[in-house]
Amino acid sequence: MVKSTSKDAQDLFRSLHSAYSATPTNLKIIDLYVVFSVFTALIQVAYMALVGSFPFNSFLSGVLSCIGTAVLAVCLRIQVNKENKEFKDLAPERAFADFVLCNLVLHLVIINFLG
Amino acid sequence: MMNLSRSVALISLFLLPLLSFSFSVDNPTDRRVLVLLDDVSLKSSHSIFFSTLKSRGFDLDFKLADDSKLALQRYGQYLYDGLIVFAPSTERFGGSLDSKSIADFVDSGRDLILSADTSASDLIRGIALECGVDFDEDSSAMVIDHSSFSVSDGDHTLIAADDLVKSDAILGKTKIEAPVLFRGVAHSLNPTNNLVLKVLSASPSAYSANPSSKLSSPPQLTGSAISLVSVMQARNNARVVISGSLQLFSDRLFRSGVQKAGSPNKYEKSGNEQFATELSKWVFHERGHLKAGSLVHHRVGETDEPAIYRIKDDLEFSVEILEWSGKSWEPYVADDVQVQFYMMSPYVLKTLSTDKKGMFHTSFKVPDVYGVFQFKVEYGKLGYTTLSLSKQIPVRPYRHNEYERFIPTAYPYYGACFTTMAGFFVFSFVYLYHK
Repeated sequence: MVKSTSKDAQDLFRSLHSAYSATPTNLKIIDLYVVFSVFTALIQVAYMALVGSFPFNSFLSGVLSCIGTAVLAVCLRIQVNKENKEFKDLAPERAFADFVLCNLVLHLVIINFLG
Repeated sequence: MMNLSRSVALISLFLLPLLSFSFSVDNPTDRRVLVLLDDVSLKSSHSIFFSTLKSRGFDLDFKLADDSKLALQRYGQYLYDGLIVFAPSTERFGGSLDSKSIADFVDSGRDLILSADTSASDLIRGIALECGVDFDEDSSAMVIDHSSFSVSDGDHTLIAADDLVKSDAILGKTKIEAPVLFRGVAHSLNPTNNLVLKVLSASPSAYSANPSSKLSSPPQLTGSAISLVSVMQARNNARVVISGSLQLFSDRLFRSGVQKAGSPNKYEKSGNEQFATELSKWVFHERGHLKAGSLVHHRVGETDEPAIYRIKDDLEFSVEILEWSGKSWEPYVADDVQVQFYMMSPYVLKTLSTDKKGMFHTSFKVPDVYGVFQFKVEYGKLGYTTLSLSKQIPVRPYRHNEYERFIPTAYPYYGACFTTMAGFFVFSFVYLYHK
């Protein structure tokens, strides 16, 4: 039983890996960006767990900047993905322009809240 | 005759304010003391005591206690600055004097020496009771001590007492070597009264009883609870000395030698003269009288007094205290004056350091609490006047622009925000221009 589950896990991982390699490059870039910003957020949460939440507004601002930009990147990925039937008519340039604008607003907000 | 007395009265009315007799803080010079005697012979039998007072500049006015022209006040002004009542057997004073007017006299800040003797009238007991001193109820009782008496005495009523209070202010710097001779009545003090003090206590073997009759029940006043001479310093710093023996001040006991029973030391001269002289110096404010200037406080580096402090400010505090030496104001030197920074309870309590020229100063940090504080100096050293000074000052919290600009603990969050922005910038370039 154990052997078959480990073999299943390996097969699963291999199939995921091969499926993922088929995705277009720009989506992979977006995925990398999302992973980077979530990772930054996790570092901040770990730091807060260590030293306490003293300037809580700074903590929230830092985490929000990472999570917010990750969410916007995910939205961009949805809108730009050609396999998505819903956004078939939306030009990818328009999606990217929205992404940039929203990020600017996000960064304005977090710099204000940083204190 | 009427015209003359009226004009004299008018002139004295104009002159009285100018001559400023009372012990005002600024010019305490020659002072008038009224001495009430119940027997004219007291003037000569206690002449050494009176002459020491005169030699220190006091203007003694001897009157019989039942003199019908006695008056302490005239037209609302006090005529005397001190009162000595050596009239233990007087039942009623003459003139306008009674126990209430003497109580008012002390209430006005003036000093009193009161002495009872082997008999003390109800009037004298009443005045002593006003000052917190309780004479023995039995009017025939005297202090008897079978182990601490003077060997020259027969019936053990002439006590040789050496249990003196330890205070340089009250009894002077020189130690009184010889015992003090005492013959008279006992009194006791209420232990909860913190204004009265025993200056000369009886030994533990003393008791108060009638020496000529057998004891039928144990005496009420015994041991060290008996006070022979007490002082009281009122809250307005008036000083009162109450003695159970008039003979203590007499020339005979001043000059007599003393040997305490059971002790081999024989003294040529009793300690009475030194004791009475030093005590009279204290009671008439020639020693132990303090005056404080106003409290001065300011921030470190500034000289003006601010109207409000901020929490965690550094401030400096100083006060000037002078002591009257009998002739002039000298700087007071002590190392136990303290200041409190007080709001319901002292947040800061510091001992002031002195520069030996009368200035006491310290510096401290305002505590991290905001509210309305007071600088309080409460000084109540034994034998000295009580100083009770306070000055109010508010303390505010930080203004919103007085906090530290960048909080060191939050540096990772600052870093994360800027890293995200940089990451976004790099990402958009890569996304747009990748091949």
